[in-house]
Amino acid sequence: MLFDLAQWVDSFELSTRLHESYYMYNWVESTHVLTLMLSLGMLFVIDLRMLGWAFTGVPASRIAARLNLPMMIGFTVMIVTGLLLFFAVPVRTTQSIWFRIKFLLLIVAAINAWLFHKRMNESVSTWDHDAVAPKRLRTGAALSLGLWAGIVTTGRLIAYDWYDCYRVQSDLIAWAAGCMVE
Amino acid sequence: MDLLPFFEWAETSLLGTIGKTYGGVYAIGQSLHLMSLALLGGTVLITDLRLMNLLLRDVPSEVVADNAHKWFKFALTVVICTGIFMAAAVATRMYYNPFYWAKMTALLAGIAFVFAIKRPLLKRPHDSIHPVVLKSMALASMVIWFSVGATGRWIGFS
Repeated sequence: MLFDLAQWVDSFELSTRLHESYYMYNWVESTHVLTLMLSLGMLFVIDLRMLGWAFTGVPASRIAARLNLPMMIGFTVMIVTGLLLFFAVPVRTTQSIWFRIKFLLLIVAAINAWLFHKRMNESVSTWDHDAVAPKRLRTGAALSLGLWAGIVTTGRLIAYDWYDCYRVQSDLIAWAAGCMVE
Repeated sequence: MDLLPFFEWAETSLLGTIGKTYGGVYAIGQSLHLMSLALLGGTVLITDLRLMNLLLRDVPSEVVADNAHKWFKFALTVVICTGIFMAAAVATRMYYNPFYWAKMTALLAGIAFVFAIKRPLLKRPHDSIHPVVLKSMALASMVIWFSVGATGRWIGFS
C-alpha cells in the first residue's frame, strides 16, 4: 500500500520537477535542516531546564510556555519542508529503512511530548520553582533528548544508500525497508 | 601561504582515515554536528530574541544571556570538534569548495563577535546599554550564525 502511494505521488509532474530543481530542492532541504535551530534549539532548552541543567532560577512553566510558540513554529516549518522532501523523492524514501525508523521515532516523540505536557500541567504548581523537575518529568525530558538524537541521526542516514533496495539485502532488511520485487 | 599540503595531510591522518573508512562513524559525526548546531542556534536565538524584547520578556535579559552562554560554549565546542572530524575525511575536496571557506569565514566572524563584542558588552548591566545597541547587536548575531548554518549546509550541495 505504501509503495502504491509512493508511486502515485511520484506520478505528479511537480514531484519530478521539485526533485530535479537544483536550487528549489536544496533550498527546501536547507530550510528543513536549518529550522532545527528553532525547533530543536528551543526543545533542548526546555528539556535542559527540566533536568536542572539550565535556567534553574527561572520557573520551569515559564520557560516551557514562552519557548513553546517559537518551537511549534519551527516544527511546523519542518513538517511542511519534510513533506515536500518526501513529495520530491517518494519511492526511494518509502523504501528507506532509516526513514521508516525516523517516522516511528517521530510518533514516539510526539506521544512523549503529549504525556510530558499533560504531566507537567497537572503538577507544575507544586515544583515550578524547584531547580529540578520531578523524576517522571526528568525521565520524559531525557527520553525526549534521546528520541530527537535518534530522529536527527536516522534523518541524516536517509542520504546513505547502504540499505537501499537496489542492493542485495538480507531478508530482514528487505522486509523492514519494504523492498518490492519488480 | 598555501594550505593545500595541510589539507592533503589531514585527509591521510588518522582522523581523516577513520572518517573515510567507516561510513557509520562519519554519519554519527554528522548527526552530532547537526544536534550541536541546533543547540547553538537555540541559545543564540533565545538570547538575541530576548535582547530584542520578543521572547522571555518576563525573565531578566542578564539571566537569559548568562544561562544561554554556558550551553552556547558547549555546543560550539562540539560543533568545532565534529566539524574537524567531518572535514578531515574529505579535506582535499573541502579545500576547493568555496562554501567551505565561506563557512569558515562566517564561523570565525561569529566566534570573534561573541567573545570580543557580545559577551564583554552583555557582562555590563543591560539597562546601562542603549536599547538600539542591544537590538542591533542581537540582529547582527542572528545574521552571522544563520550564515554559519546556511553556508555549512551548502557545502554538501556544491
